[in-house]
Amino acid sequence: MGKYVLKRIGLALVTAFIILSLTFILVKLLPFERPIGDDSKQIAYYDRQYNLGYVYRFDRETPEYGEYLYKSPMDKGRSFYYYMVPVMEQYTRWLGNILTKWDWGYSKTFMPNVSAGVIILSRIGYTIKLNIISVIFSVPIGILLGIWAALKKNTLTDHIISTVVMIFISIPSFVLISFVMSIFCYNLGWLPSSWPPDTAPTSMKAMGYIIPVFCLSFGSICSYCRFTRAELCEVMESDYLLLARTKGLTRRQAIVRHALKNAMVPIFPSILAEFIGILGGSMILESLYGIPGIGRLFVTSLGYKDYDILFVDMAIFTTISLLAGVVLDLSYGFIDPRIRMGAKK
Amino acid sequence: MAEFNTRHDVQFKDDDFVLVQQTARITDTKLATKPTTFFKDALRRFAKNKSSVVAAFILAILIGCAIIVPMVSDANIDKVSTTEGFLAPKLFDAGTGFWDGTRLRKRIVYDTVNEVPALSDRYTPAALKQSIVSITVDPEPTPIDAASVYGQGGVIMFATDAAVSNNDAFLMSQQTTFTPAGGYTFDAVLDSEAGVNESQLGEYTVYFQYGENPEDKLIIRDWSRDYSPIHYDISAALTEAGFQYNTKGRVVFELRSSESGIQYILLKSAVFSTVSGRNKDDLAAISFTDATKMINVSDTKSLSYWSCSGRKGIHNSLIYYCDFVVDTYMLVYGNADTVTYSATEVNNWIENGWCTYDHKVGPSSFVKLDDRCPIDEVVDQQVLSVTKKLASVTGRGWGYHKLGYDEMPRFILGTDVSGFDLFKRAFAGLRTSLVLGFCTFLFCFAFGLIWGSISGYFGGNVDLFMERFCDILGGVPWIVVMTLAILHLGNNFFTFFLALCMTGWMGTAARTRTQFYRFKGREYVLASRTLGSSDMRLILKHILPNSMGTIITSSVLMIPSTIFSEATLAYLNLGLQGVHSFGVMMANNQQYLGLYPNLVIFPAVVMALMMISFNLFGNGLRDAFNPSLKGSE
Repeated sequence: MGKYVLKRIGLALVTAFIILSLTFILVKLLPFERPIGDDSKQIAYYDRQYNLGYVYRFDRETPEYGEYLYKSPMDKGRSFYYYMVPVMEQYTRWLGNILTKWDWGYSKTFMPNVSAGVIILSRIGYTIKLNIISVIFSVPIGILLGIWAALKKNTLTDHIISTVVMIFISIPSFVLISFVMSIFCYNLGWLPSSWPPDTAPTSMKAMGYIIPVFCLSFGSICSYCRFTRAELCEVMESDYLLLARTKGLTRRQAIVRHALKNAMVPIFPSILAEFIGILGGSMILESLYGIPGIGRLFVTSLGYKDYDILFVDMAIFTTISLLAGVVLDLSYGFIDPRIRMGAKK
Repeated sequence: MAEFNTRHDVQFKDDDFVLVQQTARITDTKLATKPTTFFKDALRRFAKNKSSVVAAFILAILIGCAIIVPMVSDANIDKVSTTEGFLAPKLFDAGTGFWDGTRLRKRIVYDTVNEVPALSDRYTPAALKQSIVSITVDPEPTPIDAASVYGQGGVIMFATDAAVSNNDAFLMSQQTTFTPAGGYTFDAVLDSEAGVNESQLGEYTVYFQYGENPEDKLIIRDWSRDYSPIHYDISAALTEAGFQYNTKGRVVFELRSSESGIQYILLKSAVFSTVSGRNKDDLAAISFTDATKMINVSDTKSLSYWSCSGRKGIHNSLIYYCDFVVDTYMLVYGNADTVTYSATEVNNWIENGWCTYDHKVGPSSFVKLDDRCPIDEVVDQQVLSVTKKLASVTGRGWGYHKLGYDEMPRFILGTDVSGFDLFKRAFAGLRTSLVLGFCTFLFCFAFGLIWGSISGYFGGNVDLFMERFCDILGGVPWIVVMTLAILHLGNNFFTFFLALCMTGWMGTAARTRTQFYRFKGREYVLASRTLGSSDMRLILKHILPNSMGTIITSSVLMIPSTIFSEATLAYLNLGLQGVHSFGVMMANNQQYLGLYPNLVIFPAVVMALMMISFNLFGNGLRDAFNPSLKGSE
C-alpha cells in the first residue's frame, strides 16, 4: 500500500511539474505586454523583474541582448535600458525563485505591482466559501435522491427522478444560469441579479448566495443521484444481500446495514475528490454572476492580458485537478483494495 | 373431467407411451427465423428504446435545420443594421395577441405632452403612437426625486452643502429691474415636509437685495422656521424705502447651516408679477409654478434663473408610468418619413404596372396598383423648370421598402442587437458547432483508435510509456489548453479544432486500450495467431471489429462536448471569431437577459435540447451495442 501511495503521489508531482513548466514557457512565449502606470510604477516593475532575473538592465543601449522592453527616464544623468531575458533562461530562474523565495510573479496591468499570491488569497475565499456551501447542500440531497430512486427501482418515482436527472445533467451550466436568473432575478425580482458587494447588508448577501449555490449544486446533485442509484441497484441484486434477507433481516435492516455501506464504497472517494475539485470553482458562474472568485480572475486577467496572473490561476486549476485525481485514486485504494492503479489485470 | 381424489387413481400402462424416434428421422431443420447480424441486432435493440428514438428524431431535426435554415433563409445575419435590432418574435399576424411581434413593456415613463410612452430618442412620438397596440397609464402619478423631462410639479429642495457646512446657503433669482410704481409683487409657496433625504428643515430668511452691498436689502421674512406662503409687495416696499426710479434687484433665500446636519427648505413656487406690464417676459423667466420644469430649464439651457450656492434639487416631481404593448414591427417598418425618389424610379414603377402617375396633374393622380410599389401616396413632386419634365417625387410609404424589403419582414424568433435574425443566426452557429464537432470527432476517433490499439495490443513498456504520456497531457485542464492555443494562434476555427483535438483523443484512446486488453487474450485471437497472422491482421481483422461498437458509441458523445466547450469559451470571452458561432451569440445576448429574454431563452433551449438528445441517443446506442451495460450510467 505504501508503495502504491508513493507511486501515485510521485506520478502526480512529476505530471504537475511537467505541465506547469510547459504552461510557464508557453505563457512567456506570448507577446510581451507592457505594464501600465506612470514611470515610477514602471521602473518599480522592471526593477523587480530585474532582481528576480527576468529582464536585463543596462545603462546604455545594447541591442544584442534580446527584446528591448523599456527605457527609464533620465535620472541623475543616466537612464536604464531593459531587455528581455531568453525564455528558457527565465524558466530556470523562475524555478529558482519558486524554490527559494516562493515567488510566483507580480501583476502588470490588472492590479499593478501586487504579487500573485496576494491577489489569489484575496479572491479564493469567496470561491471556497461558495463551494463548500454548495457541497454541503448537494451531497446529502443527491445521495438521498439516489437512494430513493434505487429503492423504488422501475416505479414511477424512479422514472421521474431518472428523467429529471438525465435532463439536468445534459443542460450546460450557462444555460441553467440563464434560466434561473431570467426567472428569479428579472421576472419575479426575488433575488439580486448579481453578487452583492461586501458592503451590502447581511440579508442581501445571504440572498446573493442562493443562485450561485443552486447553480453549483445542481450538477453535483444530479451526478450523485445517478451514481448512487447505479451503485445501490447493483448492490441490491447481489448475493450477499439475498443472504442477509434469507437469514431473517428485514428489508430495512438489510439495506441500512449491508447495501448502503457497500454502495458508499465508490461514492465516498468521489465526495472527497469533489471537495477538492470544486476549489477551482465555476468560471462561467463566477463571471456571469459577478462573483470575485478565482474563476472570474481567469476571465479578468485574460481581459487585462495580465499573463503572470493568468498563469498562476491556471496553475491553481491544474494543481487542483491533479490533486483531486490523486485523492480519488488513493481513497479508492484505501477503501477498496481491489481497485488499485497498476493492479494485475 | 374426472376428479382424482388420491394418487392411486392415476395409473399408467405401457400402451400410454410411444417411442418418438420409432418412425421419424431426426435431422437438422432450417431455422424459421431469419439470421441476423450484430448491427441489425443492435439496431433492433435501439429501436426498442423509445426515448433514444425520440432523441435521435429531435437530433435529426436539429441537424437538418442547421443545414437547411442558413441555406434557405435570406434573412440578414452579416450586415449590422441596428435600426432593426430587438424586434420581437413574430410568427402570426399582428393583432393575434400571441407570438405576433408585439412586446409588453412595463412601467415606462409616460410623456404627457405627446401622449406616448417616453421610450427613447430612436422613435418619433408619431411613429410610437401608430405602433402602440394598447396602453394603460397609471391613474396616479408617482413622485420621484429626479428631474425628469416628463415630470411635473414637485418642489425645489434647496439645501446646505455638507462640505461647507459653516457657510450659509443662498438661492437667488436673476437680477431684474423693478420700479416703485409698477405694482411688483412676489409670491412664494413653501412646503413643510420634514425629514426628506434624512435632512432637517432649516431656518431661513428671505430678503430683497437691491445693491451689491450685503447691507442693501429689504427683509421680506426674517430668520424663522415659518413655512407659510410669502406675499410681498416689492413696489410698496421700495416706495417706503425711498426709491423713486428703476431699481435692479433680486429675491434671495438664505438658509442657515447647522452642525447637526444638512438643512433644507422646500419651495413649491415663486412668482413675480406686475400690474404695469413692463418686464413681463423677464419676470416670467424667473418665476416658476412648476418646480420640475424650472429645474429642467435651468439644467438644460444652463441659464441659472435661480442660482444657488448650496444644493438645488427636485423633490416629489410627479411622473406618470404606463404599461403598453407595442408592435415592434410597426415601429421599425411602419410608415416612414417622406422619401424622395427620382423620376427614373417612378417611371420604372409605372412600366412595371405598380402604380399610375401623371406629373402634369400632380400628387392627386397617384394610384397604387401593386404592393411592391414603395410609396402609398405622393406628397410632393419636383418638375424641371425648362422641359417641364418630372424630376423627382416625394412620397410616403412603408418603412420596409426603405430598408430593402418587398413586404413586411417576419422574424419568427426576433432579432438581436445588430438586427440579425435570431433563428437563422442560431442555426448558422449550430452548423459551425456541428462541423467543428464532427471534424474533431473524426480526427480524435482516428488518432485515439490508432494510439489505443498500439498501446493496448503491445502492452508492456510501450503501453506504460504511452499511458504516462496520456496521464501528463490529460492532467492539463482543457480550458488551459484551449486558452493557451487561442492566445498563441488566435481564435479561429483551425485553432479550436487543433486545441479540441489535443485534449479530445485521449478518451477514445483509453477506451480502445481497455477493449484491446479485453479481447487480445481471447481464444480466437490465439487461434489466428497460431495460424501465423501478423500483428496488423490481428488488430484490424479480429480485435478491432469486435470492439468497434463500444468505442464508437462512447466516442460519439465527443460531439456534444465539443459544442459545449466552444460555447463555454465564448462565455469566457474567447469565442470563435470570423464564423457564426452559437456560443458567441449566446454570450453576447446574455447582457439583454433582463430586457429581451427571448434572445437568450431560445438559444438556451436549442442548446439544452441538443445536449439532452445527444446524451439520450448516445446512451441508447451504447445499450444497443452492449446490452450487458444496459441502464448503467
